[in-house]
Amino acid sequence: MLAEKALELVRQQHRCIEGALGPFNEDGIRQVLEEMRALFEQNQRDTSATVAGEAGLFSSIQLRHTALERNKRCVLAYLNSRLEHIGQMRWEFGSVLPADVKYNLCEEEVQWFNNYNRMLANYMRAIGDTGGLDLTQDMKPPKSLYIEVRCKVDHGEFETQDGDIIVLKKNSQHFLLRSECEHLIRQGILEHIVNRM
Amino acid sequence: MLIKDLKRDFYDAIQHQRVLILVAFDVDALCACRILQYLLQCDHILYTIVPVSGKEELEKAFVDNSEGVQHVVMINCGATIDVVELLQPDETVTFYICDSHRPVEVSNMYNAVQVKLLMKADDLTDVPEFDEVFREDDESDESGNESEDSDGLSKRRKMTDESIARRQDRRKWEENRNKVIFDYTKFSSYGTAASLIMFEMVWKMSKDTNDLVWLAVIGVTDQFVHFKTPRDKYMEDVMALQSHVSRHNHRGEEDESLLSVNCLRIVFDEELQLSLYRHWSLFDSLCHSINTACKFRVWTLKGQKRLHEFLAEMGMPLTQCKQQYTAMDSQLRTSVKTMMQEHMTKYGLTMQDIVLPSFWAQYGYKTKLCASDVVLACAAVLEGVDKNKSATDYFLDAQDILQRSNTGWLEKGVVLAKRQLTALVNQVQTFLDMHQVISAGPFLYVFVQEVCSALLCSQSKVVF
Repeated sequence: MLAEKALELVRQQHRCIEGALGPFNEDGIRQVLEEMRALFEQNQRDTSATVAGEAGLFSSIQLRHTALERNKRCVLAYLNSRLEHIGQMRWEFGSVLPADVKYNLCEEEVQWFNNYNRMLANYMRAIGDTGGLDLTQDMKPPKSLYIEVRCKVDHGEFETQDGDIIVLKKNSQHFLLRSECEHLIRQGILEHIVNRM
Repeated sequence: MLIKDLKRDFYDAIQHQRVLILVAFDVDALCACRILQYLLQCDHILYTIVPVSGKEELEKAFVDNSEGVQHVVMINCGATIDVVELLQPDETVTFYICDSHRPVEVSNMYNAVQVKLLMKADDLTDVPEFDEVFREDDESDESGNESEDSDGLSKRRKMTDESIARRQDRRKWEENRNKVIFDYTKFSSYGTAASLIMFEMVWKMSKDTNDLVWLAVIGVTDQFVHFKTPRDKYMEDVMALQSHVSRHNHRGEEDESLLSVNCLRIVFDEELQLSLYRHWSLFDSLCHSINTACKFRVWTLKGQKRLHEFLAEMGMPLTQCKQQYTAMDSQLRTSVKTMMQEHMTKYGLTMQDIVLPSFWAQYGYKTKLCASDVVLACAAVLEGVDKNKSATDYFLDAQDILQRSNTGWLEKGVVLAKRQLTALVNQVQTFLDMHQVISAGPFLYVFVQEVCSALLCSQSKVVF
């Protein structure tokens, strides 16, 4: 069947759309490109034959042309979807990708990622009053500047921006600036207490 | 030193500073802590809360957490010990003690620089005067005299008269001081609840809400339920709270209330003094509430019969009394209180045993909680007996219970409280059956050897 491998590529990407990015299917792309080349060559032959005067080849040329277009569309969809996914990962993971994700990208995609990084960094440096604004923090608008946190494990001392030293002992509660606690909350050392009194 | 104006001397002093809060392990302290937390969150004052359950833990917590902290608030701990001497703080650290334990240590009372007491002045009328306890010393003269005594006899004779008079004076003063301190520290008692003091401070700053009123109610009820204050003191506090409750819960005279049913509504009422009766069956509640259990002597057969008689006279069908209270007929439920009051004198109960002016709270259509039930549930959680969890875990669980949104937790607490009460009654029954109560002059005592599991490891604050 024509364009079946291209469909396979699209299906593969569709399966990964929610979860992690799958490995770059070089093989699949190569096969699709082979198919496209084979179709194109056949079309070339038929076109030259038609120019030379043979009739009755129009429909096959049309068919192969449509197949070519379909293949092109599928491959482009595959590549574009992967790039979008990689772009999203910048916002989730930060500018350094974890090793297992990087393993799944082909080289061009890595290059694309680096370019995207650079662009984002330039933009973020340009906005904001002094030194730029980090847009990748605080994806949801925070409700308050300060939050109440509870310490789940002994973590020792922690220094805040103002220089206050806070001893994080198990089961102690603290009231701190949100920006300072967030990375500790993400690590699981502190727990955010929502006070819906 | 006693602070008169809480806002100016306490609250304004801690603005823009970091505060360390040391909280004791009881329900009143928990409520006061939550009120204070609310206040500090309003003004974005950074704080750290550490639960402490005794003198060593207090020391340890202070030493661990006191780097860079200039203000330490102690809730229901620290008044009866000399904090400055025990904790050896820096010169700049100030302690704010809001403690209902009495008597207050005299050095705390008269330390004008580092110790500030957040208490009511009427509670502190019996503190000895400054001159009786502290005195400008003549000791330097004394030691000077001692060293000079090794010189010639003539000098010794000259100094003798004055030094004798001074020494006599000093001895008399010391004797008086010892007597005064002994009388002062003879008995320990409790003053106004910490949560009430915190609430009044918040009220004076106009930052009080209905939720905070409910917390203050719980704190005051905790003092009464655990026999820390006499009934008159409790009544005074309740009257004070009632004005706050009516101020916040004024819903208007029309039938449609202006606020949604999910908002907290507190009502003042004469409550039946049966522990947890809304979450239990009436019969179980009568058997396990301390007042009625003692008056009816439910551990004896005769007592059980009397209890059945009482219920029969009131007209309560026994089968219904032994079922869940909420499953009883609504007519019976509404008439329980009046019937009990009618028939109580025959069985030796007084009005004070049956009814207690108290508050209940309602939010949503399902939850209706009375203050003493919340106190019992919270105290039961605080004294949990699971060996895997530490005491501070229970502290956090009990804090969660006080949050209104956690009705599931509250129900678990009620179950724990029921278990505790049952275990308690069983234990008392065992003691009395085995004749283990020994009289030792002015008091009776029992040596608790084998304790049933629900009371194991718990620091039950129950008075036998």
